Amino acid sequence: MKRFITAVVLAICVVSFSAVRVGITQIVDHPALNAVFDGIVKAIEDAGFKVGQDVVIDRQNAQGSMQNAVAIAKKFASEKVDFVVAIATPSAQACVQAITDRPVIFSAVTDPVGAGLIKQLGKNTSNVVGVSDMVPVATQLKLIRKVFPNAKKIGVIYNPGEANSVTLTNIAKSAAPSLEMTIVDIPGTSPSEMITALNSIGPDVDVLYIGTDNTAASSIESIGSAALRLKKPIVAADIDIARGGGVIGFGFNYFQVGVETGQLLVALLKGAKTSDLESHVVGPDSLTLYINLDIANQLGITVPSDLLERANIIVKDGKEVSR
Amino acid sequence: MIPIIEQGLLLSLAAMGVYISFRLIDLPDLTPDGSYVLGGAVAVVLLHSGHGWVFSTVIAVLAAGAAGAVVAFITTRFKINSLLASIMVMTGLYSLSIRVMNAPNLPVPKFDTGKIMNYEQIVGKTPLDDLLGDVPASFEASGLKAVKIPFTNLGDGHDLLIISAIVLASIVILSLFLKTEFGTMLRGYGRNRFAVKVLGVNPDLFAYVGLIMGNVFAGFSGALFSMYSGFADVNMGIGTVVVCLAAVILGEIVFGSRQPIYGAIFPIVGALLYQFLLTFAMKYGYRIGFKPSDMKLLTALFVVAVIAARRFKKSEVTV
Repeated sequence: MKRFITAVVLAICVVSFSAVRVGITQIVDHPALNAVFDGIVKAIEDAGFKVGQDVVIDRQNAQGSMQNAVAIAKKFASEKVDFVVAIATPSAQACVQAITDRPVIFSAVTDPVGAGLIKQLGKNTSNVVGVSDMVPVATQLKLIRKVFPNAKKIGVIYNPGEANSVTLTNIAKSAAPSLEMTIVDIPGTSPSEMITALNSIGPDVDVLYIGTDNTAASSIESIGSAALRLKKPIVAADIDIARGGGVIGFGFNYFQVGVETGQLLVALLKGAKTSDLESHVVGPDSLTLYINLDIANQLGITVPSDLLERANIIVKDGKEVSR
Repeated sequence: MIPIIEQGLLLSLAAMGVYISFRLIDLPDLTPDGSYVLGGAVAVVLLHSGHGWVFSTVIAVLAAGAAGAVVAFITTRFKINSLLASIMVMTGLYSLSIRVMNAPNLPVPKFDTGKIMNYEQIVGKTPLDDLLGDVPASFEASGLKAVKIPFTNLGDGHDLLIISAIVLASIVILSLFLKTEFGTMLRGYGRNRFAVKVLGVNPDLFAYVGLIMGNVFAGFSGALFSMYSGFADVNMGIGTVVVCLAAVILGEIVFGSRQPIYGAIFPIVGALLYQFLLTFAMKYGYRIGFKPSDMKLLTALFVVAVIAARRFKKSEVTV
């Protein structure tokens, strides 16, 4: 019996030594960030690696604490982790600061240049590469103009404490004048503040816009019903947020962000160097157009037929149809 | 091992601040959740404008101390409970820190970065361009300049040396201060408000000094942590007080008696122990079925359990 146990332990040791160890850290337990993780695992498995056998994943979660994010980054730095994947801005910043001798892949960071992770998008000489979840804000504003030609005031619902959302809001503010629109802030640092801000500022705006804001995402059901009471349509930059109460969504889902991150990891597993790979934003092929005709009818909105033809997901009579 | 000690020592500075407000002067103060962030924010902003790390840290510490003075003013002037006053100031500091950084998150970049761009500038096209037409989307944001910090992040002991020296100097200064006549009166103020009055000194002075000192340490910790971790984030102060309180209580368990002369050492030993326990929990906790989100509950339960255990033993009020 003892020998058997020794043999099993030895076998496990051999397996875990020959396997590649990947440390994945995320800032907080959140559906979008968990979807990124699932996407990474999908990409690894699609490439023919077995998770747990060829690739051992050490998944860590900072529970929303920056100190924990740094502790995890340092743990990866001192342990024999071969590759590090960091999901969301603070986790990525902590890993990039702590780890210089192994590849660090960031994911779901809207503005990796502004966050000090890389010098520029595309190829860099450092050990850092990754995927940005930047969304086409100006195109989304043009989309709003097409569906709502009379819309002048666009209310942006966001959390001023989230770096990603502030970046998107600033981009919207710089793009708005050329489209003859004005951006109105609807800020909230918590779901309840957001609803309060929406109820007080919402009546003055024509259309509501939500970027990839985590706080808005976590309370989108209540934001959606509040917007419906105000009879204001929501246009979202994230398909999952749009599903929660938007009329139109134009963006990608976070699973896709994870898949593209996983593809970078796979390239590194196959022997590529970080300096060979390009840091990039999620490609235009992953952009999905979502239209909810039920809410459009409720608000008396006519969606142009040429746009409807191009929709990837349409909700009609309570049923979601993908094309 | 080295990183755990480094982080424990950085935490111990904030824990010293919490020790001063909760234990020494007995004016519970929650401001460190905000002054920790303010310290980091001011330090990083000053680093960006080209100042050295020592100057940046000093100003950051002064800013955090000012937050403590505001709490003391509200508490003593309007006779508002210090807990309540500090909650107000802490809440206000959230907005102030975003104002200071002009963003919720500011990195300490190691290299000059290029221009920041938007999606259309990077990718050049989206699937709906033919329908929507292309109006040029202007977005210009300048890049960041590299910033010099004292930490190397190589794990070779260089960072540990700097942090140890800073913490050691802090203990020595704090201990010497507490030994002076004024320091003795400050401790006396915590034990018995009236005794100080009898000596003919305005007790409000001690509220000011104690609360400023407490937040100075919190801001110091936040400024150093921002440089050490490579960024300041407006959410990085959440839970600072609870964690520091856990560290202070851990330190008190180790030393048992409450000799105030060793007071400055409690938070350091406790913070190191806390960091080790946290690392241990993060490493093995998941294997026995903990979820990441359970850690906060565990910390809270731990603090309550320790306080309860000590109550049973001595039937003495500790917090």
